[in-house]
Amino acid sequence: MSNAFSLYAPRPSGLHRLHPLTMLAVVGFCLVAGLALPGPWGPYLVFLFVILPLAAWGQVLPNLLSSALKIALPFAISVFIIQGLFWTGGTPIAHLGPLSFKSEGLLFAAQSTGRILAVVGAFLLLSLTVRPDTLMIALDQRGAPKALTYIVLATIQIAPRFQAKANTILDAQRARGLETEGGIGRRVRALLPLVVPLVLGSIIDIEERAMSLEARAFSREGKKTSLLVLPDSAAQKAARVALLLAMAAAVAIGIWLRRAS
Amino acid sequence: MNISITDLTFTYPSGVQALRGVSLILISGESVAIVGENGAGKTTLVKHFNGLLRPTGGTVHVGEWDTAAASVAKLASRVGYVFQNPDDQLFERSVIKEASFGPKNLGRSDAEAKEAAQKALAAVGLDQELDKHPYDLHLSQRKLLALAAVLAMHTPVIVLDEPTTGQDARGLARIGDIIEQLKAERRTVVTITHDIDFAAEHFERVIVMAKGQVQADGDAADVLARREILAAAEVEPPQLARLAQALGLPATPLTPEQFVKTLEATCPHPSS
Amino acid sequence: MISVRGFTYTYPAATAPSLQNIDLDVPAGQFLAVIGANGAGKSTLCYSLSGFVPDFYKGTVVGTIHVGERNLVQTPLAELAGEIGLVFANPFNQITGARFTVREELAFGLENLGLPREEMLPRIEEVLRLTGLDELAERSPYALSGGQQQRLAIASVMVMQPKLLVLDEPTSQLDPVGTREVFETLDALTNTGTTVVLAEHKLEWIAVHADRIILLDGGRIVHDGHPHDVLADPSLPAYGLAPTRYTQAARLAVTQGCVAEDRPLPVTLDEAVKFFTP
Repeated sequence: MSNAFSLYAPRPSGLHRLHPLTMLAVVGFCLVAGLALPGPWGPYLVFLFVILPLAAWGQVLPNLLSSALKIALPFAISVFIIQGLFWTGGTPIAHLGPLSFKSEGLLFAAQSTGRILAVVGAFLLLSLTVRPDTLMIALDQRGAPKALTYIVLATIQIAPRFQAKANTILDAQRARGLETEGGIGRRVRALLPLVVPLVLGSIIDIEERAMSLEARAFSREGKKTSLLVLPDSAAQKAARVALLLAMAAAVAIGIWLRRAS
Repeated sequence: MNISITDLTFTYPSGVQALRGVSLILISGESVAIVGENGAGKTTLVKHFNGLLRPTGGTVHVGEWDTAAASVAKLASRVGYVFQNPDDQLFERSVIKEASFGPKNLGRSDAEAKEAAQKALAAVGLDQELDKHPYDLHLSQRKLLALAAVLAMHTPVIVLDEPTTGQDARGLARIGDIIEQLKAERRTVVTITHDIDFAAEHFERVIVMAKGQVQADGDAADVLARREILAAAEVEPPQLARLAQALGLPATPLTPEQFVKTLEATCPHPSS
Repeated sequence: MISVRGFTYTYPAATAPSLQNIDLDVPAGQFLAVIGANGAGKSTLCYSLSGFVPDFYKGTVVGTIHVGERNLVQTPLAELAGEIGLVFANPFNQITGARFTVREELAFGLENLGLPREEMLPRIEEVLRLTGLDELAERSPYALSGGQQQRLAIASVMVMQPKLLVLDEPTSQLDPVGTREVFETLDALTNTGTTVVLAEHKLEWIAVHADRIILLDGGRIVHDGHPHDVLADPSLPAYGLAPTRYTQAARLAVTQGCVAEDRPLPVTLDEAVKFFTP
């Protein structure tokens, strides 16, 4: 299970018990609000007052904070330096040797960092609290194309095996004397013996998998049912509608605030 | 060229300890079958022979080369390894090109490589399919092609990982003949196999592995008679060994001919 | 249950038919084994009896195949919807990848059939018990051994309650433990009345488990009968197959005069013990 659920953290929390589509709506709101509200304070509001409290409710706050910071920090450092120092025609507010930090550049960097935090935080919230298959099944039950949801789920589980297959092919060709270290010419010549078996082997696998799916009535016309029961409620349905409206409101507020400034 | 393994331990990055102390010497020219259930450490062990895996503890020497210090491509000139799934290595557009790939990597000229490839392909019975695309062949033929591709490299040691899966009687007979030929050429042949009858018929030495250690190691006839060790390692005894034991015969026959000889010794109506 | 008449099939790019003029009747509940050299047509016969030929593979067909009331040649796969189960050699490619536990994997086919949830649950429990997978029900399908995955593949089609289960060399990638598990599962299935058609190379196993064997050569049925008859027939090597070691030893013992000639040759261990005991 650890491969398939690389991020999912099961917790006995109210947040985890929400219907996957409700979580999808919450995360969608965070994304839209984080990007629509003007910065630099807009995205930070979303991150600090929506995403973090939700993560605390879902008992995944430490996981979310550490992953978000791990991703955002390197980005923040580089964007602050690059935009801060090299913003053209800005107002200098601090000096670093011959170079100076421009306030416009720093503001831009702050806004970009905020947006990254909001987007990454939203995706992390989704991944930490919703099991991928329940989300896909929820979409199935609402009539999403079966082929699409199948591809998403199968990719999650089969991608690690693809990597293992690539490693086996590498081993097999090295065992026949293929050199993979060295100059560009050598590495390019090594590509074909590594890529061709991977592609052809995958084609064979895909054909067998297609047959296996047929044997499980995948192509049958008609309504499909579901083993997993995903608890939903009128309250959650209402909340989802409210969140959609809130997303629209956030966009409107964002446009109005920008127009006003 | 001997392969010496001293106190070999190996732990995968995931933490699984696959080998817990193996010490062996494979003498030049021996034919060895390594048996045991999946997870016993068989593949992990043989991957140390050509450097695909490096010891976590202990040493492995191929001839005078320490495998920890030699690259896989360098070791490939001494140890040929036929992988279980041929589709993990076939990539050329024709059978003959595929079989020439290995020898070319080892530094043979195009002409030498082609000749070696043709000989190897004749030995596996694919000499009529030289220009065919490998994926137009049946899976069992692709397995034979993968075998030919390594045979063409003329290495003193050959490792075969499950060579018999999916083969029919003709394929098994071919592979058996090739192994006998390799033995006649005094090349070391090591196989991992679940086909215990095949192992009994062609391999002089049998090593039984379980839980990352060697449980038994010796002459095929001796090892395959040791019922408790085989049972503990989840290895089925060969058909004729089971029959001989059920009949209370004194020896462990490995072939039908040996069985009948053993029988004649206790036969109430001796042959004319 | 199965009725094949004059069935001839040629793959799209092939110059010669892979199956020629096959006539075959299989009663319900029989365990039929199909043997033959590689290329003789075993896989093609398996695909034909499960509806993949011609629908999935295209190609040209002559003749008919009836399974139950279904005329397979004229029925698209989507309509067959799990009435005939197919299992093949590679366990990994038979896991859908879209479900995260064994129990949910078993439900996949039933979900596609639109079965109500209340009917799914008891069927799944029954099949878990029958295939010995009950203790693995909450595990990821990818955390199983090869033999367990193959049992899961069988269980995944069995849960759809097919009349016929077709297996194309299901043990070729398995170790002896896995092979034993698969054959034990097949025994349990034939006890429930399912018809089983199994293409297999391991003659010593089908000698013990199969009710009937047909031998294919060049796309034709050249022998059809009880395991004793087919596997002890001296013509077996001419068709690219080798009899079990028991039969080989017995034949050799007879030719060398060590045993009397008039007795039928053994094909299993038990028969061999009886044969050689004076």
